[in-house]
Amino acid sequence: MTETDHKKILAERLSARFGRRAILKGMGAGIVAATAGGSFPSIARAQQSGHLKIASIKVIDTLDPHFTGFLSAIQIINNIHNGLLKIVYDGENVTFEPDLAETWDLEDDKTHVFKLREGVRFHDGTPCDAEAVKFSLLRVKEGEPKSPHAWKLALLDEIEIVDPLTLKLHFSQPYAFLPVALNGSTGRAGTIVSPAAVEKYGTDYGRNPVGTGPFKFVSWRENDAIELEANTEYFEPDMPKLEKVTFVLMNEASTALAALMSGQIDGMTDCPMQLVDQVEAFPKANLYGEIEGNYTFLGMNCKKGPFTDMNLRKAVAWALDRETLVKQAYFGRAQQAYTPISPPMTAFFDPDIATSGRGQWFDLEKAKEFRAKAEEQGEIEVTYMMAERGPVGTRVAQTIAPMLAEIGIKVNLELIEPATWVKRRNEGDFDLYDFEWVADLDPDETIYPEFKSDGAWNFCGWENAEFDELCKQAQVILDSEERKELYYKAEDLLMEEAPIGIMAHMPIYKVFSDKVQGFQYIPADLVNLHTVSLA
Amino acid sequence: MLVQALGKIGQTLVVLFIVSIATFGLLKLAPGDPVQIMLGSEYSQEAYESLTAEMGLDRSFLVQYADWAINFVQGDWGTSFVARTDIFTYGFKEALPVTLTLAFFSLSFAILIGVPLGVLSAVKKDTAFDAGSAVFALTGTAFPSFLLGILLIWFFGVRLGWFPVMGYVSPWEEFWTGIYHMILPGLTLSTYFIAMITRLTRASLIEVLEEPYIAAARARGEPSWRVIWVHGVRNIAMPLVTILGLQLGTLLQGTVLTETVFNLPGIGQMLTSAVLGREYGVVQAGVIMTALLFIGVNLLVDLSYPILDPRLRDRK
Repeated sequence: MTETDHKKILAERLSARFGRRAILKGMGAGIVAATAGGSFPSIARAQQSGHLKIASIKVIDTLDPHFTGFLSAIQIINNIHNGLLKIVYDGENVTFEPDLAETWDLEDDKTHVFKLREGVRFHDGTPCDAEAVKFSLLRVKEGEPKSPHAWKLALLDEIEIVDPLTLKLHFSQPYAFLPVALNGSTGRAGTIVSPAAVEKYGTDYGRNPVGTGPFKFVSWRENDAIELEANTEYFEPDMPKLEKVTFVLMNEASTALAALMSGQIDGMTDCPMQLVDQVEAFPKANLYGEIEGNYTFLGMNCKKGPFTDMNLRKAVAWALDRETLVKQAYFGRAQQAYTPISPPMTAFFDPDIATSGRGQWFDLEKAKEFRAKAEEQGEIEVTYMMAERGPVGTRVAQTIAPMLAEIGIKVNLELIEPATWVKRRNEGDFDLYDFEWVADLDPDETIYPEFKSDGAWNFCGWENAEFDELCKQAQVILDSEERKELYYKAEDLLMEEAPIGIMAHMPIYKVFSDKVQGFQYIPADLVNLHTVSLA
Repeated sequence: MLVQALGKIGQTLVVLFIVSIATFGLLKLAPGDPVQIMLGSEYSQEAYESLTAEMGLDRSFLVQYADWAINFVQGDWGTSFVARTDIFTYGFKEALPVTLTLAFFSLSFAILIGVPLGVLSAVKKDTAFDAGSAVFALTGTAFPSFLLGILLIWFFGVRLGWFPVMGYVSPWEEFWTGIYHMILPGLTLSTYFIAMITRLTRASLIEVLEEPYIAAARARGEPSWRVIWVHGVRNIAMPLVTILGLQLGTLLQGTVLTETVFNLPGIGQMLTSAVLGREYGVVQAGVIMTALLFIGVNLLVDLSYPILDPRLRDRK
């Protein structure tokens, strides 16, 4: 292996840090100035004030960061806990910065050194030191019951405590994925929980979370609300701004929007695409949302049924009119995808992908050519299972069915209930289904676990040894350029053999009323509220 | 009397047994797996197996049912798989009062609006008012309640800003705020019943008003309001109460949609999310509570007959 200048890479990753601090301070001053100039008596303002009520539309399974499978839970968990690292967005680039750590260094390409902040305490008063961090990492890696996120730390060999505030993580091989493993997607493997609280509550920790974060957990009433209050001892200066936060748990997004418009709540952690027009027309709300790290796709069963025939799969992949899909299924809000790597992965995404010739797009002629090469030349009947789930429900399936009729595939749409849908998907009992992988920050997590041969999430059952090898190589290379080349090759294989027809990258929206100030949008579906205040 | 009471209790137990084992069986037969649902999309086979074993889902159906039933009877309703909520607290202490409050308000609206409207229609039979009330009743029965809920939300909540559009505040704790929050959901759920009671009151009262004792009362020179509201309405109370008791099931069904639209954390929402998440324990608790409620109310209806009709009191 060539010598990599990992210090340089690290330096690049950290470069945004100091700039951001300055911006934050500036913003804080702005808010104070605005308040002082307003009609409020200038001394009446306590350090924390205001009660933010925000609707949380989706499922909250548990508030235990090491066991959740849902982003909506992470949104709340992140306000109660901190991680070793955190995700930062400056409007252009997504980077990882030390959070509970003060510094993060590479001793060599397999050893990461974290120096922790001094004096940080959990909400229960116990210190957050190297022992506590080790406890959390081990809880993910090998705790009982087993964390669904254990695989993210599989390469972690040893956790060495150098002194009470310094840890060295020794990995069995260079692990470029580490920052993402610690922060990535659902479940935060690098989130630090209070060992005392885990001891006390055991498996009920998820109902009684104790972290170091800007807000403390107060209560959780099922189907009703989760209440948080300010952690006045929080380590970032002048934060949090709010005194109380209530996540109102709701099933019906349109009711949430009505509540927002009538002023009963101040925001929504998620705004479904079909409601975005209404929000935009409402003057007293601010919409936050950009294309995030995700992709939606039509999955084809490579293990059984007609789509074991690669030519047929390719015919389908080229027959999907993405423009129509974006318009009809995604309310014109999504962006056509050519390959899985999405725009927020700034070091890897190719802004000129549309003209690069890579990936899949709509070309009916090409689709027909592949169709002509398929083994079965007569009309093929397939089952497309769909459910009222995901961001757009059954719209994708309904839009696709007539497109496939064009190439002699008769699609039988089968509407099933979400739990059954999950079961059948996991068991590979389908011809076609559509799905989305969301909140990814790195090419590894966006394609490798999803499509590696025999991978648990490889529901299409596609197998390609070369693809596996390319991704495995890329995992241990720290240089972004080199990694990029490998992922492009892996993606090309995936798009070429077409276990999926790729469709779109979606924007994920949040809404706040205009009373809410200081929200920092991060394109990883996060709702971090430490900088937020109420006017 | 004692024998009767024992019989009633025995009957109740049999019903509860059938209801509980049927729900349990149906849920188990339905495809879908709580472990898969709670692990989301990112998990390993190991994590899956360890969780299945931990939740006791690797045991046979009958063992799982017996285990649940024995614990349930002893007051241990268990904890939900995913959120680790104590089901007794969630179902009995938190969700049940919400649904009871909603049902109480809807029934009150139904009676307070439906009965007078029905009486007036009967008295003004075949007038424009009667026709108008008939149209109202027909619309009320035909209008889907969730749609009505959404319309009420947008008109009274968002456009006019008169009422809160969602959420539950216990009227037993904060009286006026609680009632204020119950007005839109209460109206939504009760529209069907207002309409039904209006029609039922009208039809029964028209019949009663032709009875000889009404003519006798009029002949005695009693004021017209007394003839109608005392002699008339008292005599339609029994069919009214019977129907209300029987329709309670429909009302409880309606709470599912109403609670979803208005985001009320009641049994309806609890059952919906529990069924979708295959939370066997929560579904069982919800179904048993609903069944008990239904049986309980119909028992009350039975008991109310002697009060409503003195002729039934002395039968020994």
